[in-house]
Amino acid sequence: MTTSDRSDEGILRLRHGDEADRARLVTMTAEDPALRESLAEWDRQDAALRALYEPVARERVPERHREVIARAERRGERTSTIWARIAAVVALLAIGATGGAVGSRLTGGADPDQALASAAFRAYATYTVERRHPVEVAASEEPHLTNWLSNRLGERIVLPDLSRHGFSLMGGRVLPDASGPAVLLMYSDADQRRLVLYVAPGPGREESAFQFAQRDAVRGYWWYDDNLGCAVIGDLTRDRLHDISRDAYAQITGT
Amino acid sequence: MTLLDEIETAIPALRRYAHALVRDSDRAEDLVQDCLERAVARRQFWRGEGDVRSWLFRILLNRFRDGLRSARGRAQLVPFEAVPDPGQPAPQDAQMALREVHAAMARLPDDQRAALLLVAVEGMTLTEAARILAVPEGTVASRIARARAALRGMTGRPEHRSPRTEGSQT
Repeated sequence: MTTSDRSDEGILRLRHGDEADRARLVTMTAEDPALRESLAEWDRQDAALRALYEPVARERVPERHREVIARAERRGERTSTIWARIAAVVALLAIGATGGAVGSRLTGGADPDQALASAAFRAYATYTVERRHPVEVAASEEPHLTNWLSNRLGERIVLPDLSRHGFSLMGGRVLPDASGPAVLLMYSDADQRRLVLYVAPGPGREESAFQFAQRDAVRGYWWYDDNLGCAVIGDLTRDRLHDISRDAYAQITGT
Repeated sequence: MTLLDEIETAIPALRRYAHALVRDSDRAEDLVQDCLERAVARRQFWRGEGDVRSWLFRILLNRFRDGLRSARGRAQLVPFEAVPDPGQPAPQDAQMALREVHAAMARLPDDQRAALLLVAVEGMTLTEAARILAVPEGTVASRIARARAALRGMTGRPEHRSPRTEGSQT
């Protein structure tokens, strides 16, 4: 910005800018009494706002807020021991097993969450091989696609844009899931490699961490959030899949 | 310091911001609680990029907007909570000015109030505020400029004094 921008907005950018901006503003005020008066007025506003709202920050933090942290600390300890145990199992299995077997063995067993991962892997296996009808409604039919999928799912969903990972949305379809109608979105990259995002209702489910699962060369991450269970499944490295999953997660939840 | 520690450290600032943003204190505390629960549940997604405080404010503002969306259509939003204590003995000038500012803040559109508070009270730069509000810096600058002009008009500075505030000047 040039020093000649003396509009309120221009001055505000300097006043709430970095150190260099603020230093420039000091130089500018030296020869400009009107500017000095504006700045003094804004200083008074800020002082009044701080005087009004600062006392809240000095109050004792309500018990229920602190309890959120305390609860997480207690839970965090448990989680980390579980992860330590899983890491130990992975290390043991890795000695004799092929990489492909490890993930599926881990997600096997009595874990009820396996249902989501299993359904997503099944959907991946069924539809990514489809040449003629990979999706029911194509991405070109927006906004119909989003509306239709949201209506069937019963939740307004954002169809994540994964183009910065090289994947473009082909479209989607509705699938039966044990928990109700689920949604399958399919993406493909320049090499026609396909990736799916499976979204199923998960009413009342606690938000969960990202979980990794693997079936042969196909890997996936899944999680629960906002009454939805989501899984990203693809034939990609774990790192890439993790990045894509994080991005999908952020877009779906809007954070 | 663990991430949980950092979240805990930010609670006073989150409360300050929520109370200034929402004004109804029960709703402000609910907003903070909601924000903390989300942040804690999602802390495994935190990769240490950027600033924890910004991340928390972003969550809080998202929850605030979600709340507004769901409140719309269900019930009429109360435009702002009554300015405190009309029955009290005549306040001194300084207090009167604060009450005017408080009332004026309540009349600002939510997006202007949200932006102004980030820089004026939380001491953030325009760049940080833009990132938190997920809008371009120019948009934040213009919201803050409009907020400041409106405040000046509503709090009866000499050049913009309005009849409503005449009586409060000595």
